[in-house]
Amino acid sequence: MPSILDAVSSHTPRLTAALVGTPNCGKSTIFNALTGMRQKVGNFPGVTVEPKSGEVHIDKTTTRLFDLPGMYSLTPKTPDEALSVTVLHGEHDALPKPDAVVFVMEGTNLEKSLFLYAQFAALNIPTVVAVTMIDGIKASGGVFDDIAMEQALGVPIVGIVGHKGIGLEELREHIALRGFSRPEAAENQIPVSEGIEAQYQWARALAGEVARMPELDSLTTKLDAVFLHPVAGPVVFLAVMLLFFQSIFAWATPVMDAIEAGFGSLQNLVDAVLPAGVAQDLLSRGVIAGVGAVVVFLPQILILTLFITLLEDFGYLARAAFMVDRVMGVFGLQGRSFIPLLSSFACAIPGIMSARIIASEKDRLTTILITPLMTCSARLPVYVLLITAFVPPTMLGGFLSLQGLVLMGLYFLGGLSGLLVAKVFKVTMFQGTKLPFLMELPPYRFPTWRSVFLTLFHRTKQFLTSAGTTILTLSIILWALGEFPKHQAPPEASPIQAASLQLEHSALGTIGKTLEPVFAPIGFDWKVTIGVLGSFAAREVFVSVMGQVYSVDVSESDENLRTVLRSAISLPTALSILVFYVYALQCMSTIAVMKRETGSWKYPVLAFGYTLLMAYGASLLVFHGARSLWG
Amino acid sequence: MNEIPVGSKARIVTYTQHDSFTERLREFGLIPGTIIRLLRKAPFNGPVEIQFRSSRIVLRPNEVTHMLLERIA
Repeated sequence: MPSILDAVSSHTPRLTAALVGTPNCGKSTIFNALTGMRQKVGNFPGVTVEPKSGEVHIDKTTTRLFDLPGMYSLTPKTPDEALSVTVLHGEHDALPKPDAVVFVMEGTNLEKSLFLYAQFAALNIPTVVAVTMIDGIKASGGVFDDIAMEQALGVPIVGIVGHKGIGLEELREHIALRGFSRPEAAENQIPVSEGIEAQYQWARALAGEVARMPELDSLTTKLDAVFLHPVAGPVVFLAVMLLFFQSIFAWATPVMDAIEAGFGSLQNLVDAVLPAGVAQDLLSRGVIAGVGAVVVFLPQILILTLFITLLEDFGYLARAAFMVDRVMGVFGLQGRSFIPLLSSFACAIPGIMSARIIASEKDRLTTILITPLMTCSARLPVYVLLITAFVPPTMLGGFLSLQGLVLMGLYFLGGLSGLLVAKVFKVTMFQGTKLPFLMELPPYRFPTWRSVFLTLFHRTKQFLTSAGTTILTLSIILWALGEFPKHQAPPEASPIQAASLQLEHSALGTIGKTLEPVFAPIGFDWKVTIGVLGSFAAREVFVSVMGQVYSVDVSESDENLRTVLRSAISLPTALSILVFYVYALQCMSTIAVMKRETGSWKYPVLAFGYTLLMAYGASLLVFHGARSLWG
Repeated sequence: MNEIPVGSKARIVTYTQHDSFTERLREFGLIPGTIIRLLRKAPFNGPVEIQFRSSRIVLRPNEVTHMLLERIA
């Protein structure tokens, strides 16, 4: 065996290491355990996809660790795999070639990991192998022979039990002491370039030698008998979906109310402390109101992230994809598209990013293009405001709320339209050869709470920084457009009337009136037009603009705004606005992420264009239809 | 693949075509000689779940046209 301090110089204070392994091998758990809170959500300009990175500090050494997406071989079939392979070859534009690799192997399916290792060994990068879930081997009466494996692979081996933390300390020591070796020591034994069949035969023989285990995990067999049962399976699926939507609406509300109240009192505090004037106005109505309107969605986003993370870590999402594949097939998509589309109900951004798991480029692009039609949480405040203002709180049959039904209808309208649009894309621009549907069903596993917590922590951090900065800037710009040029109100006007006149004569008011003719056919006056235009920065801006325009309190829960809206806007206009928001892609962050993930402006422009056309067309229909029905 | 009843086994004889999909199937471990078992079919002619060694994968049977199988049980 070569020295433990192999080619990597021990004087190098910083080292770049990459985590490599097959999908579902337990890599993320190890990544979270090693880096903890010191993760960075990478954002490299010009790069289509980026891996997570973090720092490992051990005994005064610092190691930058990249969590490369899982892969099955070094011949990539998905954008995810292509990224990993490019980085390992040192051909990535923004990421360095790793100095060392922590190769994670799935203890309960060693042959697949060993097959990947056979191809990986050809790169001859200093490596340490971490074998996860060795408790799974031992629990079922198996044996794990790490010494034999070390000899066969030519690199050090560490056995890990992720959820119990066993082996992690040893792995940290290897990283700190730079205890990596190049696989060349065993190169005569490893079939690095002899074709898939020979590599698999080697992997199977070696897996049989170093670990003995039963063929299948019995818990997975038992659970699948229920979750994939022809009758019970769909019932469980519907129950999970119901719980999913219930969690967005019901559980998040109390926390959201508390956040709104908090920002409200902050506004009052600023108004009380600062003297009236531009500074007070900017801070209170520009910064606090604008940022508050966004931060209020944090509970929803966290609950949804929690839900999706749990389902994914547990292994249920793959089962759901299996069950809906047939339905997705009708619309030209495949089961894998279900996962990004489900995430898009929280926010299109994680949805677009998770489309990376789709191997077929055409299916991936189609999925990305329809994510904006899935109703994200930013539309919710707009829906809630208009529905509570215009739909009576009638209970149908004593238990079905009419308002709730209308809300569900809007979600359904968006989802169904999205699938139909997918079909159109698939028979027009994305027709022809497609990559068949193929997916692994991983064994069920109980998520580690630490890992789930860290996912939530980093999601919060990301949301508050990235979304917060964009929204902050836009809030200030919107505020300034509404405040200038200054209009001198007549002395007899009340403060509220003065504010209203100011808005009408401001730059924002002028823009709204200039564009009014464009939106008049769908029933929008200049005031609604301003709200809709402001929404192109972020949809939730509509609510605060309506508040400003109608000179009442900005809060959507304010009874005043609803009453005012009911008299100021006609029912056909209200319906027209709702339908417009179902379709229109009014989110700059979504456009930016679409550009990044597809590597071209073509797709975001297409998505923006087709959704705008649909929004305008549908609003036109609804507005005139409603007007002829109710006058 | 369409002709194998649920619960029965088959052996992969060979692939009649080499493309990136059959390459991926082999990279999953579905190399010639491997014995697979059809675990279940999704309703309405949906995808099937097959099991081999320690893996379970799902695919659409009518898309797996180039895998030559022989039934063994």
